Amino acid sequence: MTENLFDEYYEKSLMQGGTTCCPGCGGPLFWRMALQALGPKTVIYGDGPCAMCAIRNIKLPHFNLHFSFVADASSGMAAAYRAKGIEGLTLVSSAGDGATGDISFGKVSAAAERNENMLQICVDNEAYMNTGIQKSGLTPFGAWTTTTPLGKEALKKEIPLIIAQHNVPYVATVSVAYPRDLVAKIKKAKDIEGFKYIHTVMPCPTGWRFNPAKSVEVVRLGVETWTWPLYEIEGGVLKLNVKPKQKPIEDYLKTQNRFRHMTEDQIKYVQDNINAKRERLLENDGKRVIL
Amino acid sequence: MSFTRMMDGNEAAAYGAMLSRAEVVPAYPITPQTELISRIATLISEGKMKAEYIKVEGEHTAMAAACGASAAGARVFTATASQGMAHMEEALWMPPGMRLPIVMCMVNRAMAPLGGLRPDHNDSLMQRDNGWIQLYCENSQEVLDTVIMAYKIAEDKDIYLPVAPCYDGYFVSATAMPTTIPDQAEVDEFLPPYKHEMYSLLPWDYRRPARSTNAAKSRYEVQQAHDRAKDVIEEVDKEYGTRFGRSYDGLLEEYACDDVDAVLMTMGSMTGTVRDKIDEMQAEDNRIGLIKLRGFRPFPSEELRELAKKYQAIAVVDRNNSYGSAGGGVVSMEVARALYTLDDKPLLLNFHVGLSGSDVTMRQVGYMAEKTLEAVSKGKVDEVVDWVELHDLGEVL
Repeated sequence: MTENLFDEYYEKSLMQGGTTCCPGCGGPLFWRMALQALGPKTVIYGDGPCAMCAIRNIKLPHFNLHFSFVADASSGMAAAYRAKGIEGLTLVSSAGDGATGDISFGKVSAAAERNENMLQICVDNEAYMNTGIQKSGLTPFGAWTTTTPLGKEALKKEIPLIIAQHNVPYVATVSVAYPRDLVAKIKKAKDIEGFKYIHTVMPCPTGWRFNPAKSVEVVRLGVETWTWPLYEIEGGVLKLNVKPKQKPIEDYLKTQNRFRHMTEDQIKYVQDNINAKRERLLENDGKRVIL
Repeated sequence: MSFTRMMDGNEAAAYGAMLSRAEVVPAYPITPQTELISRIATLISEGKMKAEYIKVEGEHTAMAAACGASAAGARVFTATASQGMAHMEEALWMPPGMRLPIVMCMVNRAMAPLGGLRPDHNDSLMQRDNGWIQLYCENSQEVLDTVIMAYKIAEDKDIYLPVAPCYDGYFVSATAMPTTIPDQAEVDEFLPPYKHEMYSLLPWDYRRPARSTNAAKSRYEVQQAHDRAKDVIEEVDKEYGTRFGRSYDGLLEEYACDDVDAVLMTMGSMTGTVRDKIDEMQAEDNRIGLIKLRGFRPFPSEELRELAKKYQAIAVVDRNNSYGSAGGGVVSMEVARALYTLDDKPLLLNFHVGLSGSDVTMRQVGYMAEKTLEAVSKGKVDEVVDWVELHDLGEVL
């Protein structure tokens, strides 16, 4: 019986075997869960970022242009499906943190403003990892990259909250360490009409400098230290989905060598920021956060 | 029923897109293309045109959305100009390599900072290497007809390349001329609905062209499509002529070239002025004619080589310039390469005109014609590249 198990799974899975991702990459893990939630009537657009390596061998229609193209060709695809009267498809547009937060930020913002009927996913490994670990707008404060050898000087951009202010129907953050929450959010997003935005953390052993076996543990600590709060903003109302007892930020930072040079003052600065953000999130939990 | 009325180039292009039944129009405004896309928005809002208009936030997205829509099965139209075309450039490389038959009007306008809003051809000519077919139009009628023909060329399964009807800002885009709008049913008969044989982005019928692991091979395929396009452009033009009574001699047109010693070679709106001046000069027994270059990509080298044997001199009139080039403007360098293999080469002159922001005048055309005939009589060219506007030629006419 067990010998058929793999074949049966493989038959049902929307991904073919094999991946070009680094060991321990969150990409294959994320996409397996995401595609399970999305189902077979899905079309995927996106290219470039590491996490897309995971779906180069996807069993679904996949269109791609290049790294700096986000939410744009998918807008054209959505228009073509409308023009042709094709219904019942889920259109997913995916991009990394650098594409979403830096070079194509205007494109994502415009697609949100137009309320394009697509699920935009940001796979966030917190730097330009495919080009060899360069700082992006979503690299956290203090993190080493090859372009921030002394650690990043500025804070990480809050993209999900910025997108939420476009008054889109659904925004959520997810983590592969919380699969039930992740699948539930993607399923929910799938059934909503208009622009949905899901921001997922993407553990990166290569760029964050940790043992590939620890990927899930590391991002779980991200949630437990409130570095990576899991929330959703539906119809403008914030809901914190997980409210763990807060662990000190050191617990998270010390798991990754990209933070090992940080001074006590810098760590305190990060902790203060997280505390303030946590407080505001708790204050606004269940409240409307869009003016 | 076809009908004729005054129409400028932008409106003609909009009617061309409507009659071609373009289904998706992702566009971003830029002078002098704006009236084209706002006309399309109006036609859609009036219910006359059935298309999805995507009001994108920039040209880069306009072309990306065009790619997505084209691959997903919709006929796509868009337009841009100048700075917008440059902003779009990264995306402009996609449709030829991906074999997406998008049609986009390039409404010619100079690039900043030494440009302003005036028309020249540097914006579209700098896109010469990325695989787009470029057809230059002289007036609004040609714009309308070329947009419709462009889809027939682009969607030919032996071609599958994007096509750009190019026309000068203001002189064509904003100049109203009597324009005949063909009957929708006749256009439908000429141009069947869009269906891409290589693409379907539907989960139950997923197809994409397989990309060769050898990029050189894929590029060579695009080159071969360009070679085939030379014939297809001729054929489509002829068929259009049979059906609608107007055709444009394919890639290049000889005007009043019987028994002449030399020709001026032009592109775009200035051609009309040159036609008049040539008529005037031939009435005074000057042996000079005109070649209008319509297809810049693919470049009609073979055809030009055939014609060149008849002339002692060819003067390329470039409404563009290429700083530090091997000599003169972009078109003249193409012509030089095309003629290089001839044993008996005509003299080659090159004039820069229309760069100052003003129209190409009758007097300037006369000056260029005289200089060309002078080279014929001397048997040599004194000044290979001549910046015509730097001379004080007196009155416009």
